[in-house]
Amino acid sequence: MDVTSQRTGGALIVSVEGRVDGANARKFQKAVESVIDDDDGAVILDMENLSYISSAGLRSILLIAKGLQKRTAQFAVCSLQDAIGEVFRIVGFDKIVTIHSSQGDAVAAMGS
Amino acid sequence: MVRPYKILVVDDEPDLEPLMLQRMRRHIRAGRYSFVFARNGLEALDRLNEDGDIDMVLSDINMPQMDGLTLLEQIPKVDPNIRSVIISAYGDMKNIRTAMNRGAFDFVTKPVDFKDLQITIERTLAHMMEWREALSYRDKLVSIQNELEVASRIQQSILPSEFPDDLRYQVYGNMEPARDVGGDFFDIMLLDEGQIGLAIADVSDKGVPAALFMMSCRTLLKGVAIGLTEPGAVLGEVNDLLHEDNETMLFVTVLYAVYNPSTGEFTYASGGHDPPLLIRSDGSVSLLPLTDGIALGVVPELNYKQHKITLSPGDTVVLYTDGVTEAQNTDGSAFEVDGLHQIFAGSSAYLKAREGTDLVFEKVREFMGEASQFDDITCLTLHRDT
Repeated sequence: MDVTSQRTGGALIVSVEGRVDGANARKFQKAVESVIDDDDGAVILDMENLSYISSAGLRSILLIAKGLQKRTAQFAVCSLQDAIGEVFRIVGFDKIVTIHSSQGDAVAAMGS
Repeated sequence: MVRPYKILVVDDEPDLEPLMLQRMRRHIRAGRYSFVFARNGLEALDRLNEDGDIDMVLSDINMPQMDGLTLLEQIPKVDPNIRSVIISAYGDMKNIRTAMNRGAFDFVTKPVDFKDLQITIERTLAHMMEWREALSYRDKLVSIQNELEVASRIQQSILPSEFPDDLRYQVYGNMEPARDVGGDFFDIMLLDEGQIGLAIADVSDKGVPAALFMMSCRTLLKGVAIGLTEPGAVLGEVNDLLHEDNETMLFVTVLYAVYNPSTGEFTYASGGHDPPLLIRSDGSVSLLPLTDGIALGVVPELNYKQHKITLSPGDTVVLYTDGVTEAQNTDGSAFEVDGLHQIFAGSSAYLKAREGTDLVFEKVREFMGEASQFDDITCLTLHRDT
């Protein structure tokens, strides 16, 4: 699991690569939270290179989203691989987390 | 206040005692060291047994009655955590080597250089403290491990081990936990008017918080299910109860179904759980449609949709958790829903519920081979006979 970040068009884009499972979900959450600044108004989690996510990883995403929601920052995920999209759909999180098909779409929708 | 380190000095030379006390007086006054003395190995052993709080032994080798090398062998029998330093003649490598082999931590040579001795004492004490700390961590770890094992057994013991005995249908479930306590459970509830409630669930994450969440989820589900017959309403109610004060964002995916043995009606609602597998009596296999519910515990006041099918005699429904479909082999590929399809495609109308569940476990295990199990594996099978 690897986390990198950059700021584009008013949004913070955090890209995650590899697998997020029970063993590294907390590390993943900490890594993402550590790159988020207090004044980031929009955070996009880019999952293009995320190959697997377990329910523990989904929980980490909920916690990240909750943290942002508390200070009314926007949050979305983008570029989900088919299998990851299927996981989101089954668990029903496609209804509670905003999903964009590409990073460009996400930035266009959220950036200022 | 921290007590001084207690050092037992063993030497048949009577002059060493006043000299040691004099040269170490600053450290004694500062409350860092305290000294006790013995004139030979036997006396030293007596002191060790009597005092019980000696941290370190500083011993000469050549002494009457019991020499230092014999003493070294005896010290661990009194307390394996005591560290020993040997005082030897300069260049006496043979005895020094023997002493080290017998567990001495270090040595100093005669005539004793007290500055060097003090450094050696500090190094020995530092090592001893690290050792003790490591031991206490190990003990804590062992006790946590034991508690986790107990928790895991408790979890196993709440799963149904007896299954309804009815000529009209069979139901059989099994759960195989991964190493940590955690996640999955299934339940079978006898409801009003001869209906039965079937639940299978998977809590996000592992460990003690997840296990506690799972226990409360199971209890709530059981309590709510007995009072309500609509699966969607049951999930809605349990969701609200779980959501209260759920700062941890733990969630649980649940598939809850009510089966009516008289009519064959099977009504289910999914809270973010994988769809059940339906095997018709002609051996055709399909996934039942999702009901679009969100995993429980995350968002309050949800309406859970439900879906109803009718089982004909010879039909089978298999409920499972993602421990089945996401089981990995050594190449890193997953069992997938396809694996389940393959198990049951062309199954006989006389497939038994137990046989169905056992087959899933057998095939998943076969698929995994030497790969380790990361997630709980759970499967619950319902079969309509007549």
